[in-house]
Amino acid sequence: MRLADRLLAVDRRIIYLLVGIGTLIPLLFPIGLPVTITPPVRSAFEKIESLPPGSVVVVSFDYGPSTAPENDPQADAVLRHCFARKIRVVGMALYSLGGLSVAVEEMNKVAAEFPLEYGVDYVNLGYKDGAQAALRRMNENLHELFPRDAFGRPVSELPLMQDVRSLREVDLVVSLATGIIGEWWINLVNAQFGTPVIVGSTAIGTPKYYAYLKARQAEGLLGGLKGASEYERMLSDRYPVVAEIYRSPTLYTATQGMDIQTIVHLVIIALVVLGNVLYFVSRFRPASGDRHA
Amino acid sequence: MGVRPACPAHSHNRRGRFRPAAAVLGLLLSFVSTAAAQEVATPSANPPLPAPVGLTAVDQPWDAGGAILLTWQPPAAISGGDGAYRIERGPSSEGPFSEIGSLPAGTARFVDREAFGGAAFVYRVTFEPASGGVSTPAFAGPIAARPNGFRTDRVNALVLVLLLTGLVLFFIWRARSGARLFVRRISGLNAIDEAIGRATEMGRKILYVPGIQSMDEIQTIAALAILGYVGKLSATYGAELDVPNRDPLTFAAARETVKHAYLEAGRPDLFREEIVNYVTYDQFAFTAAVTGRMVRERPAANFFIGSFYAESLILSEMGQTTGAIQIAGTAEVMQLPFFVATCDYTLIGEELYAASAYLSHEPVLLGSIKGQDMMKAVLLIVGVIGVVLATMGFPIVSELLTMH
Amino acid sequence: MRSQLPLILTFVAGVIPVIALFSPHPVMVRIASRADRWLVIMYAFAILLGVVSVVQSNTKKIARRDRGWPYAIVLLAGLTVMGGFGILANFGIFGGITTVAGRPTPFQWCYSNVFLPLQATMFSLLAFYMASASFRAFRARNLAAGLLMISAIIVMFGRIPVGEAVPFVPMITEWIMDNPNAAAQRGIIIGAALGAASMSLRVILGIERSHLGLGKGE
Repeated sequence: MRLADRLLAVDRRIIYLLVGIGTLIPLLFPIGLPVTITPPVRSAFEKIESLPPGSVVVVSFDYGPSTAPENDPQADAVLRHCFARKIRVVGMALYSLGGLSVAVEEMNKVAAEFPLEYGVDYVNLGYKDGAQAALRRMNENLHELFPRDAFGRPVSELPLMQDVRSLREVDLVVSLATGIIGEWWINLVNAQFGTPVIVGSTAIGTPKYYAYLKARQAEGLLGGLKGASEYERMLSDRYPVVAEIYRSPTLYTATQGMDIQTIVHLVIIALVVLGNVLYFVSRFRPASGDRHA
Repeated sequence: MGVRPACPAHSHNRRGRFRPAAAVLGLLLSFVSTAAAQEVATPSANPPLPAPVGLTAVDQPWDAGGAILLTWQPPAAISGGDGAYRIERGPSSEGPFSEIGSLPAGTARFVDREAFGGAAFVYRVTFEPASGGVSTPAFAGPIAARPNGFRTDRVNALVLVLLLTGLVLFFIWRARSGARLFVRRISGLNAIDEAIGRATEMGRKILYVPGIQSMDEIQTIAALAILGYVGKLSATYGAELDVPNRDPLTFAAARETVKHAYLEAGRPDLFREEIVNYVTYDQFAFTAAVTGRMVRERPAANFFIGSFYAESLILSEMGQTTGAIQIAGTAEVMQLPFFVATCDYTLIGEELYAASAYLSHEPVLLGSIKGQDMMKAVLLIVGVIGVVLATMGFPIVSELLTMH
Repeated sequence: MRSQLPLILTFVAGVIPVIALFSPHPVMVRIASRADRWLVIMYAFAILLGVVSVVQSNTKKIARRDRGWPYAIVLLAGLTVMGGFGILANFGIFGGITTVAGRPTPFQWCYSNVFLPLQATMFSLLAFYMASASFRAFRARNLAAGLLMISAIIVMFGRIPVGEAVPFVPMITEWIMDNPNAAAQRGIIIGAALGAASMSLRVILGIERSHLGLGKGE
């Protein structure tokens, strides 16, 4: 077997090792690369910026611990933006693991950075099972769907929820989604009831949401870590109080994560280019049983 | 009934929700203006302001009842000034009235979403300028909210639903009458027989994952239809089948499907309940369990058919390393690239739904595919016309197709 | 009757949301909302069914010493511990499922220290698998595959700060995402939606019935 063929049939564990090293290096030696703003993230930011203080935004934690490194910075940025603008936030989760840890931890963490009162400035309704069936009912009665909040308090006793009986009283929905749940919000809530929706998706899910963005069924899109890092930059530029928070050395930010993403993307690009060079070199020999024609 | 919060619905009256801010601002302004006014005159000396003009109250159309839409115009004398509208509701023009909302100046629309019970209400709207005083009230009503039987704003969607239903039923009828319908060959489906045959020859099992979604996902139903075919063929050849499940409802249905497939193949003796098994409700724990089975038991054929998410690549890449023939099928656009990159054949989008009809070769099912294709042709033509018209500055088609 | 009843139920359950989409009449709204509520309740019971199946199949596996039977022990132990803490927490034992006076309850401890890292590990595998799949799949075998590969490289490069610093790359990246990508996505979404509608129609009308465990004659 020639060298080119041998390299083409490289043990995939070598590739895994390269990706592993590419992840570790920026983790140990941060680079701090700057990010530029893209239109989908800017329109999401401007949408929240256009809401006057006192508006109500639903932040739906539709993701679990698996995609938290991507979705957490998005959720934190959106929450910080809302709280900095004195926008009231109703948190909930349509993904089972979102309600238990993600929503509780992220909301508590970000809310502690601002002088806020639970029940007045923000609430956490917790997780609701039933997926699309539950979403369809939210436009009728949120109180019936969530009789108690994530901490077991009756929702009817929370002052904020006195003003929010259904999605009709909500100005914007931000779904931070691990997969298809952002699409449910677009198809069931935006298309049928007209409530504006912004989606924070994982990088894998982002291409699909462009179709909805272009159709104006999504007001904005935060795609993966990159989207979150752009949002962080816009927030820091506009709100000095938030910029101060992001300067904290103990805080994990998407902007830091972009260092890792940069190196891993470069590793993958290098692998693809190398694979093609080797492919063209080995083309002079007959192909050997590759099923992926 | 006490004072209830404002329940404005749309962008026009959303500003009504910032009552705390508006109230604080109003208080501050009134304090400043009152302090200034005290030097020249007392506030009670202000003449009464004119009422809001043209107040109307109508039943909110196309809804399930319980909502009354109020519209008005600002009193001419104070247009553009700061202040707030007070919206009140009572059983008659004599009252008693209770406040149901307060909106800042500049708004001219309010939806009372709590006009339930079929009772008639009278609405009273007054304007309170920030500088003090109150306008004379405007009245509207009595009016009762009524449920509507049909949403006229969704006629366009109904027409499309009826058109699709009509086309599908027409082609089913044509197929039943003996007309020969051509449906193109789907290579992924032809590979199913080959994959099962190979597994039988090698004496290794066939792994079939019917997606990770529940029965309310139509892809799951399509996956079970194909599972029926795979189950029947496996039973016929005597190949070992393994169907792990993430969703409990899908699990119950998959077990029935496979049991019936074995019965149809004339081999009910080969059916064991463990063939269709439940693993866990958690997506990644499920993925770990299935990839573990792939590594330990090395199935010769892997089927990933149905609705998949982030686990798609983990499952199919692992299958690649074990050297299994892999056939995938999903309508999840995000996962298609992964399946295409790692599987031997992939049923893309609508092919998944057409698969069961194609496999059965039943004319009735093939007719439905034909009807669906015709609908697609109709939409294509309408789409092209819409694009041309919109480019020329007449967005009539997009307006007609927008569902409210 | 065994075959007719599921078909009748399917027809009724399928038609309700369609009518509810067009009719806001309170009777219809109530029926649709009730059906949705039933679905949520049925789901909860179906999970019980799943748990029974897990216990049955894994105890059998252990008893028969099937291949990989020690994993079945791990699975059952996990189910018992996590499920046990979760159920007891609902009765106020062990202090619920989150925290008590800032300290994690046993359920929360297991969740944060065992479940959560395992979840993150599984998802992280994607980065490694994506790299090896890209290495194999992105080959310029023909014009279409070549275009696909070039687009992939541009988008991957344009989504990182280094690439953004190169003139025109961010613009081309957004153009690819906004136009060819969105167009292809829409094509598949519209085709799949029509396929789903047609499949739903077949299910509602009882033409497609294999998922019910019924043959065409039944």
